[in-house]
Amino acid sequence: MTAIDAGGPGWWPAGTRAIAAASDETVHFLPPRRQFRKPRPTPIALVLAPMVDMSFTFLIFFVATTRWELPEGVMTSQMPRWTGQGASAVPLPETPVIVRLSQKPGEADEYAIRIDRFTEAPTSFGELAAFLDKLQTTPGFDENTPVVIVASDEVRWDHVVSCWNAALRAECKNIAFAQP
Amino acid sequence: MRYKRRREAAGPVTSFNFTPLIDVIFTLTIFYMLVTQFSSAELVPLRLPEPQDSRAVAAKIPDRVVVNCRLGDPAEGGGVLYSLGPNIPESIAVISDRLAAMKAQQPELKLLIRADKRLAYADVRVIMRTAGELGIELLNVAAHMSEAD
Repeated sequence: MTAIDAGGPGWWPAGTRAIAAASDETVHFLPPRRQFRKPRPTPIALVLAPMVDMSFTFLIFFVATTRWELPEGVMTSQMPRWTGQGASAVPLPETPVIVRLSQKPGEADEYAIRIDRFTEAPTSFGELAAFLDKLQTTPGFDENTPVVIVASDEVRWDHVVSCWNAALRAECKNIAFAQP
Repeated sequence: MRYKRRREAAGPVTSFNFTPLIDVIFTLTIFYMLVTQFSSAELVPLRLPEPQDSRAVAAKIPDRVVVNCRLGDPAEGGGVLYSLGPNIPESIAVISDRLAAMKAQQPELKLLIRADKRLAYADVRVIMRTAGELGIELLNVAAHMSEAD
């Protein structure tokens, strides 16, 4: 079949195409092509302004309220039972390790560690932890041997907690506080 | 034709590219949301002890009461301020009475002492002694955990 342009003035409408068969001279007329116009896409605009506002609000809130510091933890200890004012402390086992913590005279932030019945005098809490750790290998002492911390009143709380922490580092399971 | 001429006269359209800005904002917001830990009102901000190689552990203690011990503002006379949870600072006697009332209601009451590291041991021992007298046996002391934790 051959397409014949049927355009031009005539009795058929403009744009009509005629198709002629190759075998015969019969001409088939087809209606003119409808010209479809592509529909224009509807413009979709995302309104970002409220989202940006909220994001900035959140950002400023978190930046302003965030505090960078180490996480807070808890050290737990069993308190002795007190039966009232002036009551004596609980009876201790026979061989506790008594760690005495005192403030060095004239130096506000310095401390001195002394351990009763032992000649060793650790100069830091790291050394104290090492001493207590080593002590557990000595016959007569183990991890359940009571460690009693006796701190003088003027020692900073930070040092008292560090002393307690040193005993915990040495895996001591029985740590107590006693009055100076 | 007329329309085309008008567009040419308007010149090139300039616009701000918001995409990277929004990306960064979202990234920062999500980061802060993940790292933020909302602290309770009863955990008054203070300088907790920071022992080397800390053995303090994160623990949620049920039925615990927080006693905060902190240094007072030097402009207001200084001293040591004791407060029970989010309450205003009170005297040791008042705190002791409150603890006694709580202990009567909750026999298994536990105490968490949060004390400023700059305080003297005697200032904190007052609370420890009070707790001992009230029969509160489990003592918890707040300290910073090590960075590895």
